[in-house]
Amino acid sequence: MRTAPAPVTALSPMLQRLADERATGALMRDRGTLYLAEGQVVHAESPATPGIDVLLTTGGGLHRDGWWEAVARAGAGQRVGRYLVDSGRVPGGALELCHLGALYDAAFFALAPTRTPARFRYGVSHWIGPVRPVPVDAVQRETLRRRELLERIWPDAAGDSAPLVRTARPVDAPVPPARRRVLDLVNGVRTASDIAQELGRPAFHVLVGLRRLAAAGLVEAVRELPAATAPGRVALPEVTADPDVALLRRLRDALEAL
Amino acid sequence: MANTEASLKEAMTSIEGTLGVALVDYTSGMALGTLGGGKDFNLEVAAAGNTDVVRAKLRTMEHLGLQDEIEDVLITLGGQYHLIRLLKARGSNGLFLYLVLDKGRANLAMARHQLKRIEAELEV
Repeated sequence: MRTAPAPVTALSPMLQRLADERATGALMRDRGTLYLAEGQVVHAESPATPGIDVLLTTGGGLHRDGWWEAVARAGAGQRVGRYLVDSGRVPGGALELCHLGALYDAAFFALAPTRTPARFRYGVSHWIGPVRPVPVDAVQRETLRRRELLERIWPDAAGDSAPLVRTARPVDAPVPPARRRVLDLVNGVRTASDIAQELGRPAFHVLVGLRRLAAAGLVEAVRELPAATAPGRVALPEVTADPDVALLRRLRDALEAL
Repeated sequence: MANTEASLKEAMTSIEGTLGVALVDYTSGMALGTLGGGKDFNLEVAAAGNTDVVRAKLRTMEHLGLQDEIEDVLITLGGQYHLIRLLKARGSNGLFLYLVLDKGRANLAMARHQLKRIEAELEV
């Protein structure tokens, strides 16, 4: 299904408004959070993609102990990024590039279309601290460009979130090393996000690889089994956008009383 | 210890004839930083398009079974040189520097040499 590219303002009117009023805080959406400082994006996080800690420790040559020490020493002061550079653990350029990569990557997922309303908490900032702020316009533009890029490679988004499986088709053309590593992790259970976590690579990069593999006929999304053929699985009702707050309060009180 | 912006600035000022420079992630086609360019030359569009150049060359090498790496790619136009330099340092997997030069003013050999130095200083 091919849709016309939406105008930039359609991506998130709320984000646009926050940029215009030069707001500082955290914009929480269904699939991720954008941190703003004076109307510019300073950080982004999404459960769909590895955080900057994973990117730095698996791809960036930083030891996990070094990362945790930086968090312990500079986390409270919200200057973890600065500390990593000043203590010589990560070169300034490397941190900046890794952070920018993580920011745009998480923003792509955080700005994915959703029906859940976004919330904004004023005054909240992220403990990574200032690295390099990016204008909201640039983030929105890049997110749209990425959507179009995926659409152009293979116009089927089914494999973006579902578990993936290898097809029966043999590999008849050489697969580049980076894509080969993605292919090797496709096992019928892992999703794109799982593979990204495993490899310590931005999830969007993994999506690009997977769409190319899908276009080559090597990978497809696991078709969801009809409920009758999946015994032992408890069917949970859909999460509602309108929770019964009174019931939740009673549950909380009951749990606290235990 | 140069950051992205300082490196781009240095390329812009120290390499004779530079019209624009970009640091590009070639998996996503995103320009992580650009300097120069202008209304008639959109560096972000050029960055995204040139990822296809790099990808095509890498794929060709793969098909040929060449176990080697691309150091740089030179494209010569009537009035410009476009120079693509792949970053090799650890952790910079999949980045390239893209340099647009005015053919009349640039010294190609010097430009390649200086770009190499800037890459090293970026320390990625």
